[in-house]
Amino acid sequence: MFRKRETLLIIPVLILSVLPLPVARAADALPARHELVPAGAVIVLNFSEPKAAFDLILRPKLIEAVESSPLYKAQVANKGFRQFRSLVRLLERRLETDWKSIVRRLGGGGATWAVGPGKSNLFIIDALDTKVLKEAHDLLLFLVESEAEKKGLPSRAGSTKYAGVTCWSLGPNEAHTIVGRRLMIANSPNILKAALDLRAKTGGKSIASLPAYQQAIKAAPSDAAATVYANTTVLKQIPPVAKALAGQNNPLIALLAAPITEALSNSTWLNISLTIKNDTLTLDAVSDGTLASTGAARFALPAKTSDGAMPNLKVPRRIAAMSLHRDLKGFYAAKDKLFGERTSGLIFFENMMGIFFTGRDLTQEVLAETGPKIRIVVAEQKYDPAAGKPSIRFPAFALVLPLKNPKKFSPVMEEAWQKAIGLVNFTRGQNAQPGLIIDRPVYRKTKYTVAAFTPPADDAPKDVDVRFNFRPTLAMTGNHVIFSSTDSLAKDIIDALAKEADRPTKPLAGMHSMLEMNGAQLDSIMEANRKNLVRQNMVEKGHTQQQAESEMDLLSAAIRTVSRVVLNIGTGKGRSKMSLEVHLNLPPAGSGEK
Amino acid sequence: MSSELQTRPWQRYEPSARCPWNLTRAAHLWRRAGFAATWEQLQTSLKAGPQKTIDTLLHPKGDVAAFNRTCDNYTRTVGSSEALRAWWLRRMIQTPHPLLEKMTLFWHDFFSVSAARGAGASQMREHVALLRAGAMGRFGSLMTAVSGDIATLLSLETKAIRKAKPDEALARHLLARYTLGAGAYTDKDVRETARAMTGWFVLRNQRRYFEREHDAGVKTVLGKTGKFNYADVVKIASEHPATARNIVRKLYRWFISEADEPTDALLAPLTESFARDFDVARLVETILRSNLFFSTGAIGRRIKRPVEFAVGIIRSLEASAGTTRLAADLASLGENLYYPPTGNGWAGGRYWINHATVIGRNNLAASLLSASGPYGGRCDPAAIALRHGQADAKAAGRFLASLLGGHDDEAFKRLWKDQPRGGSLSDRLRKFAYTLVTQPEFQLA
Amino acid sequence: MGQSRREFLKSTVGAPVLLSLGGAVPTFLARAAGAAKTENRTDRVLVVVQLSGGNDGLNTVAPYADDVYARKRSTLRLRSNDVLKIDDYVGFHPRMKGLSRLLKDGQLAIVQGIGCPGSDRSHPGAMRNWHTAQPNDPRCPTGWIGRTIDYASCKAQANTPGVFVGPIARPFALTAQNAIVPSIRSARQLTLRGKGAPSKRRTSDNPLENHVRNAIRGAHATSRRIRGLLADASRSGSYPSQGLGPHLKTVAELIAADVGIRIFFTELGGGGIGGFDNHAIQRDNHAALLGHLSASLAAFAADLSARKCLDRVALMTFSEFGRTLTENGRKGTGHGNAAPCFLMGSKVRAGLIGKHPPLTDLDNDAPRFHTDFRRLYATVLTGWLGLDSKPVLGADFKPLDLFVT
Repeated sequence: MFRKRETLLIIPVLILSVLPLPVARAADALPARHELVPAGAVIVLNFSEPKAAFDLILRPKLIEAVESSPLYKAQVANKGFRQFRSLVRLLERRLETDWKSIVRRLGGGGATWAVGPGKSNLFIIDALDTKVLKEAHDLLLFLVESEAEKKGLPSRAGSTKYAGVTCWSLGPNEAHTIVGRRLMIANSPNILKAALDLRAKTGGKSIASLPAYQQAIKAAPSDAAATVYANTTVLKQIPPVAKALAGQNNPLIALLAAPITEALSNSTWLNISLTIKNDTLTLDAVSDGTLASTGAARFALPAKTSDGAMPNLKVPRRIAAMSLHRDLKGFYAAKDKLFGERTSGLIFFENMMGIFFTGRDLTQEVLAETGPKIRIVVAEQKYDPAAGKPSIRFPAFALVLPLKNPKKFSPVMEEAWQKAIGLVNFTRGQNAQPGLIIDRPVYRKTKYTVAAFTPPADDAPKDVDVRFNFRPTLAMTGNHVIFSSTDSLAKDIIDALAKEADRPTKPLAGMHSMLEMNGAQLDSIMEANRKNLVRQNMVEKGHTQQQAESEMDLLSAAIRTVSRVVLNIGTGKGRSKMSLEVHLNLPPAGSGEK
Repeated sequence: MSSELQTRPWQRYEPSARCPWNLTRAAHLWRRAGFAATWEQLQTSLKAGPQKTIDTLLHPKGDVAAFNRTCDNYTRTVGSSEALRAWWLRRMIQTPHPLLEKMTLFWHDFFSVSAARGAGASQMREHVALLRAGAMGRFGSLMTAVSGDIATLLSLETKAIRKAKPDEALARHLLARYTLGAGAYTDKDVRETARAMTGWFVLRNQRRYFEREHDAGVKTVLGKTGKFNYADVVKIASEHPATARNIVRKLYRWFISEADEPTDALLAPLTESFARDFDVARLVETILRSNLFFSTGAIGRRIKRPVEFAVGIIRSLEASAGTTRLAADLASLGENLYYPPTGNGWAGGRYWINHATVIGRNNLAASLLSASGPYGGRCDPAAIALRHGQADAKAAGRFLASLLGGHDDEAFKRLWKDQPRGGSLSDRLRKFAYTLVTQPEFQLA
Repeated sequence: MGQSRREFLKSTVGAPVLLSLGGAVPTFLARAAGAAKTENRTDRVLVVVQLSGGNDGLNTVAPYADDVYARKRSTLRLRSNDVLKIDDYVGFHPRMKGLSRLLKDGQLAIVQGIGCPGSDRSHPGAMRNWHTAQPNDPRCPTGWIGRTIDYASCKAQANTPGVFVGPIARPFALTAQNAIVPSIRSARQLTLRGKGAPSKRRTSDNPLENHVRNAIRGAHATSRRIRGLLADASRSGSYPSQGLGPHLKTVAELIAADVGIRIFFTELGGGGIGGFDNHAIQRDNHAALLGHLSASLAAFAADLSARKCLDRVALMTFSEFGRTLTENGRKGTGHGNAAPCFLMGSKVRAGLIGKHPPLTDLDNDAPRFHTDFRRLYATVLTGWLGLDSKPVLGADFKPLDLFVT
């Protein structure tokens, strides 16, 4: 007899198979799948355009790459996986085709997976033709029965008629039926019955009839390959979700995430859709929850609808960039609501700020001087060959803030910066470590302050100390202040800001958080640190150098697969929106199907 | 105790009916001279006999120099002493020359130089490299190197030893801890030694000498008189007969027994021989080859240090482990490598074991032997049993009982009978290995 | 409770063995063994709470009625209608309601004017002095709690007389020459994860093996008791959810589990990162810390009282120094010297102990101490734990009269 785990193995096959070629659909029109999903469902996952996904995943080069990966090879050693594979082989022989076409035919018509209420699960899978479905189903029943026979047990597979169709059950937690080229699977007979009632229009309400669901579906792009609808009113009550949406104790997380958690807290639905186009996966999330002008997270809400975060700054060798719209004064003023606990880290921060800014009130007299368009840039460093490369190479990073009254506040900022450097030097001096030397050079008419360590005395330094990754720099240009870990990044940012000033750049309306990442650049800095990462892996996992190297190769290959990630989050017009674009670097699609 | 043992404790051990060469003694030798043996090492040793096995331990076949060069290379860019700990543990787990690492650890305990008082990672790395390079050489050379080493000076909080303000605490530490031992010198020796050490400064983590701050006058130190300087007094102290006695006594505790305090008479042959040229390798060899070393008065007469406990499990099971985490776990058991608790080293012995550290050892063993979790299941008793031809549960259990504790068949049956049945073979053997390494006997070295 | 303690001792070290050891019996165990027999002076526990960073005593127990204080503290000053009055001169910071109530309930002594001679007023230097209790020896290798543990335990026993509870590196006060002093974050860390029972009692001719067997039995007993106690989820107390709150909850659990730990050391202030070192914009930060301290201590007292162990416990607080009287230009204060320490427990002589240092006679802008901190140490060592303090402190320090008999 099939044990539960094995049955579970079959279900994903069937689901995987779920994505439709938009052919031959008209021939035997079925009602839309969501019309069979009971209204109480909390999460509904719908694959409407499986072809794009199949085209993406089922290209020979990619399959080849997966099959040669150590991870896959480890899976092959797994007994369950081998059983699953032989099952697929069997099906291949019976349908006289390869598994890829089977997958396309089984799932080519689209699929829907509904979760909830409670623990109920319902799958609806539309095949392209009835033959493939029938074959797969016959095979399944045959296997269940022969397994039972082998063990000398009565088969638990049984069938019955309900609402005019034959339903099967392979155990107490499984019930399914086939209607034409549609397969419906539920984890209890009652759920299947509810779906069949909706089909027969003999009772119940479907999710498709709910206004919230309709709004959510409308908000998704029409060419989405897959969508997930979530009833957030119900979801929010689940303890871990509730906990995640409740306040944060970490101020930085609160600064970044409060607008998102607040929007979700205010929502009744969330719809996430996946679009696949030209090797780009786009996840669009839309929700009816927005930021209230009275809420704790209003510090992220632009004053005008046309306002928002600025486009990210472009600098050479950029690994990542973030642009935020955050009113820091408003954020800090709401600190008791946003991060109630005064951790020692927070107190330390406030103490230091008090010292650097000579007792000025942090909220009213310091943060109030900054504008809301905050930008952060992380870039790989280029090292001066004469000074040597540090043994561990950190990326350079910088924070760019607008100042409201640059003339008045610049001297205050400069003084605070020099005090901070002074404190670093004092602490290092106490530990007999070399200190930073301050210089004030000029770049593009901007006088900036750079603090640097004296370079090592050797003629051809190699693997210099980690401290040479840092040349902390403060630059004030126009109405921007730049805090950078290196002067060279500060100069790149001065260039970028100058370009921005030349061609006035508009903020992105409604956006409050934007993040961009570059896979190749990330891979490049990992490669630069490879020796150290390998060594760290060796002592962390007890690996040999070889094992550590191959783990790094795998990670590196995974990172290279992603050429660029762009995340934009915003709010406005009664909706909150998030879009995540993942630009992939896959083996060419040209060699696509055989 | 046999009469042989009473009359000639330091004579070469020859197996006899009363004192046979067996698994217990082979395992004892490997534990003391290293960090426990693999099954194959035990089997080879049983065939080769004790003296040949000791030959191998003293002069291993593998390319030790190449191994240590590779390890040195790995640690070259390590940025903290916490990270260095992981690399040292890895070296202990993998070295083809465990006795060398064991002796390096001995000197680390002996000199007790800590990274907690200012020495950085590169200085600590150099310091332990000095200990390793001199671990089996002449004590005088090691002492000279260590006494001028910056990590040592930082650890002893030496700042400026001015002519007008000689550092008596430093001089006392040199005599009491590093050379002669407590009570073997007078207060005047301390004062005169301190005078000789004047002129040395530690500035920006560099050792510097200022002639004008050196007291160039005549000093009388330990019965010798002259215009001694820093190096002179270090040499005088390290060549003193009391120093030989002090080190022999410490090595007795290290290799033979913590359970008793040996008499001077018992140690006299070793002390006299060692005082001739302070050759550590010969001293260690004499101890390892002796009747006393293989007597019941030595077997099980030490408590395993946390490092011996963990590295022993890993080496016996021919496994590896993430040593970053292991270093932290061992620190919580009281042995924080590179950070001895005080300038007097680890008290060790019975102090290793208290309620909290027993709980800690058991929980560490549970993690190391678990199929998943922080150590990733890399110690796999079933795999080792299988590698040595034991596929059936009970046979594999018997094999492990022998490997991890030298239990005889009766003891094995007693332990095996209380084991839960059922579950996969791999899990059962993991649990049984946990039982074995948490036995009282396993805590003894 | 008494019954279970007896069982515990029996399971750890056989009482006859202990008594037969005579003079060699460690003080802790001798008393414990006596207790098991006669149940008179039970195992007393000392809890030390370190307030890292230099707590501003002048705004903790504020001399609100003092004109000098009023003049020198322009933004930080607490007025007579702010404070929770203790007498007509000093009062608690308004956030310290919990401690104010403990004072009224007769469970809190405020020991005023405590300090360290020759303090250099640097964090590491001053903290080192409080930790070593040897202010004249900057190279002192051990801490006062570590020495107490070494002195009070002996080779023959395997219990764990002292622990540090907290997430930071173990403070130097607990550095011992011999004993291994654990650092834990929760009581669960002192429980066994693997299954199995200790092997049957057997005596070997190898004293080390006997020692290990004893320790293993003790470890199993410790684990069993803590597990049993943690299984009772009905008690959670009303501790603050982070910082000192959970640490003191762990301490209360371990005291109630009665596993032989006699000294607990814990900390508020992140080991000095942040904490009480309020050089700038002190008001809100200091208020939050004092509120947290007060709430944690009050919750601890209530929890111990509910667990019926309050009579066995004394808790003392200390900080490396107090702060300067004059406010600096950044609405903060500098490093000072004398400050009050709190001593909490049902057996303490409650109230203000000693005079408030006069603000007209300052030592470099800070209140002058009149009581050497080592007298406070001597008090808890001798007056509470019943130990001779001289071997620990290196000299005789006259204990203060802080406990009711």
